[in-house]
Amino acid sequence: MFSCLNLRRRLRGGRQGSSSASWDAMSKPKTQAPAVIHKVIMVGSGGVGKSALTLQFMYDEFVEDYEPTKADSYRKKVQLDAEEVQIDILDTAGQEDYAAIRDNYFRCGEGFLCVFSITEQESFQSTSEFREQILRVKNDENIPFLLVGNKMDLEERRQVTVEEAQARAQEWNVSYVETSAKTRANVDKVFYDLMREIRAQKVAAAKPDNDKKGKKKKSGRKCVIL
Amino acid sequence: MGDGLARILSKPEFKPENFVNRLSLGGEEDLEDMRHKVQRLSEETAVALKKNVYKNYSQFIETAREISILEGEMYQLSHMLTDQKGIMNTLMELSLTGDNVEDAEEVEEEVVEEDTLKSLAFLLEKVEGCSSVTEVPDRHLVHNGDLVEMDPETFLQLQKVHAFLLNDSLMIATWLPYRRGPVKYRFQTLYELDSLAVVNVRDVGNCKNAFKILMFPDTRMFQAENPKAKRQWLDILEESKKKKSALDKQRKQAAAAAIQEQRVSTSSFDDSNPFAEEEEPEPARPSSVTLETELLHVEWLQETPEDLDVAIAQRDFEGAVDLIEKVNEYLQNYPRVLPVREYRARIDHRIKQLTEVLMQELQSSPERSIRGGPRAARRAVAQLIRLGKSPQACDLFLKNHSAMIKYNIRQLKIEGATTLYIRRLCEVFFSSITETGQEFMKAFPEHFACFSAFVVWAREELQAFVKTFGTQVFQSKTRFSTIAECVYEARHSCHLLSDIGLELLFALDRMMEKDVARLIQQTGDHQVEAVKHRAAEDLWRPVNFQNADSLKAFEDEMNELGLTDIHSYTYDKVFTALTTNTIQFTKAYMIFCEDMLKVHCSSHHHMITSAFVDILTAQMKHIEKSVVSEHFKKEHKFVVQNAQFLVESVLPLVDRKYTAVSGHKLPETGDLCESFKRIQSLAKVTLGEFV
Ligand SMILES: Nc1nc2c(ncn2[C@@H]2O[C@H](COP(=O)(O)OP(=O)(O)O)[C@@H](O)[C@H]2O)c(=O)[nH]1
Ligand SMILES: [Mg+2]
Repeated sequence: MFSCLNLRRRLRGGRQGSSSASWDAMSKPKTQAPAVIHKVIMVGSGGVGKSALTLQFMYDEFVEDYEPTKADSYRKKVQLDAEEVQIDILDTAGQEDYAAIRDNYFRCGEGFLCVFSITEQESFQSTSEFREQILRVKNDENIPFLLVGNKMDLEERRQVTVEEAQARAQEWNVSYVETSAKTRANVDKVFYDLMREIRAQKVAAAKPDNDKKGKKKKSGRKCVIL
Repeated sequence: MGDGLARILSKPEFKPENFVNRLSLGGEEDLEDMRHKVQRLSEETAVALKKNVYKNYSQFIETAREISILEGEMYQLSHMLTDQKGIMNTLMELSLTGDNVEDAEEVEEEVVEEDTLKSLAFLLEKVEGCSSVTEVPDRHLVHNGDLVEMDPETFLQLQKVHAFLLNDSLMIATWLPYRRGPVKYRFQTLYELDSLAVVNVRDVGNCKNAFKILMFPDTRMFQAENPKAKRQWLDILEESKKKKSALDKQRKQAAAAAIQEQRVSTSSFDDSNPFAEEEEPEPARPSSVTLETELLHVEWLQETPEDLDVAIAQRDFEGAVDLIEKVNEYLQNYPRVLPVREYRARIDHRIKQLTEVLMQELQSSPERSIRGGPRAARRAVAQLIRLGKSPQACDLFLKNHSAMIKYNIRQLKIEGATTLYIRRLCEVFFSSITETGQEFMKAFPEHFACFSAFVVWAREELQAFVKTFGTQVFQSKTRFSTIAECVYEARHSCHLLSDIGLELLFALDRMMEKDVARLIQQTGDHQVEAVKHRAAEDLWRPVNFQNADSLKAFEDEMNELGLTDIHSYTYDKVFTALTTNTIQFTKAYMIFCEDMLKVHCSSHHHMITSAFVDILTAQMKHIEKSVVSEHFKKEHKFVVQNAQFLVESVLPLVDRKYTAVSGHKLPETGDLCESFKRIQSLAKVTLGEFV
């Protein structure tokens, strides 16, 4: 019975996630951890700072050494506006041999932080592949998604201009944010912005009349640089 | 303002008289003002009341929820205790696979082969339902250990499992609640390593040493006993995945090379040998290597296992079966060499899963609405048939419908008149059978073997129906008329089944035969008794109806029974030549005959026939006796009239009805006519004396 619900929920993917969230809320007493869980997945090529961003957000620490991740998942209770929720972060490894394995990671995500390093043009190029794969797996143009340019503290080594990153974000109809896992600039912002998008989509999906109106207005998006 | 008023009104010493008195002093305006206040207060109170009710209600719900959670936890606890006991018991025993699994990897091929057999034999012995896992050639055990499964959402512990890492897959087995001999676990799932995503879960709060397995659509979370055990699992999983992928790559390359080589050799062969045509061509039996090559080079085939997983998860059963059929067709041309067998095993594993899911669709479980929809069932059945599982599908389909019928019958309330209940029972039961039959024909078209299963099933259902019917009808002390009505209803409904080509009337008659026969006998005897009883009290007087209306009513009643010449037996506006006895007999006899004909069937034909004749004969005997009796000498003309009525009006009518139902003429009517003649002549003698 339980596994059956779980299965259905996962099958519907992020689109209808909120109905499952409300189901969770119904079945659990208030005394426990917040029932709403937003599932975030970090994607991007190796070395761009996915793990550094995650660790900074989770534990307020910056790790200097580069240690290729396998795949780690983190869970944290956070205050999202007026609501206490949990964030579940899956920090993925770039180097899985099988696309099928990556598909399995992506399927369980409700929102994606697609990270590249502004100091590495190649990492910027590969964001397209990640985007493509995510859209294929989730089959939803409006999947909560942020394009993240990391290592903005290394301005002097910049290889990707704000303009070209922004152009790509606009083309995808998503936001572009630059961050630094080192200085903590915009780290909270990317996670919270993404969670808000996830929440909005869950709310929209829960409404019975979630037709064209339910889709988010993506106009007036701006690049944010501190 | 409202508050103030509320306080005044709720004071314990509040006196309505005084309050109203004081109010009325203020005049109209004050009163109007007060009216508003009171109204507002009443509105506020209503709202408060609603809120309170709601508050209590939600508290109640919350409490109920908490209780159910506690209950679940208690269950888990008891489960864990049982498990612990199991562990204690097994601690004494030495595990067949010790800790030397890891170095097994480094050993030579042959040794692995040996170990394989040993390890997988161990699996068969310890894990229930894993035979399909062990059938795959070259499969061997790499690592295994206890894990605790956790809910990936809530991080609550769910159950203890035992995980077996094989060289190409991960098998999860649950602990059996009660050990049966050496069998400790039950097979739960098998995940192929190819696309298995493993995720390390960072410790958070109470959740320590956990990792996740993502395999669409499953997300499973497991907890190892300590950091070291978890590290070991992650490392070995990683390593095995790498090995598997390296091996796959290697095979692919070898196969590609082989193809190349073959092409070269054949072409050179053609070129260099001008006599090629004279030689017999090699038998077209492809070698194992080329087979493998072809298999590996067909993309759709390689993707099929995963596509199947997705199709099953998305409940696209038709799509899944389409794929399976496509693969089956493709593979049937190949001999079952190793790579084909390996691939086959992967597909078979999914066929098994799909079959299970489909069977579940047909399972009638109490949680699921019993009217799960015939379309869903038909869909599942259609796919099971395609998978060659029509007997199982048929069995489940019918079981499902049995449950439905049982449920529908239970919904009927046993109240009010028996006939009413029986009518509804028949309606529900026989229409369910008809529906099932129609559904069955749609679901199993052209499956004649299954159709006989349906007939057997229908007969069994009928048996159950007769049991219910019997308790309500035969075992109760109802009048025979009611019983006859019910039996008629059942037989009639049953007969309608021939619309779907189902002839069960014969079976129904057989099932009710004993009870009906007993009741025919009983009722017939009863009638004969009644004849004797009335005879003893017969005074041979015409009946005086006192007024024309009553006589008219009597005539109407007799007409109604079918005795249309009754007017020739009435005279002087208020009299009938028939005695009370004759009238009572006629009515009872006509009803009796009607009832009997309702239950008439070939097996009761003779009983019913003799009951018809016997009762009428008994009545005629009484008349004959009266003719020779000293007491009624003066009434002979009158007696003859009554006899005439029975023989010339009642008997032909009954005969007609009897013939209409049974197709035969009532036998032995001659005897009755003889009897009448005797009465006539006896009467003539005495009448002659008077003349
Ligand atoms: N200067 C600077 N270095 C960073 C930043 N983010 C990550 N790094 C470094 O980049 C390297 C790779 O980061 P990591 O988080 O492991 O990358 P991942 O493979 O995407 O997880 C590490 O040495 C980090 O210290 C950043 O914002 N600024
Ligand atoms: Mg990393």
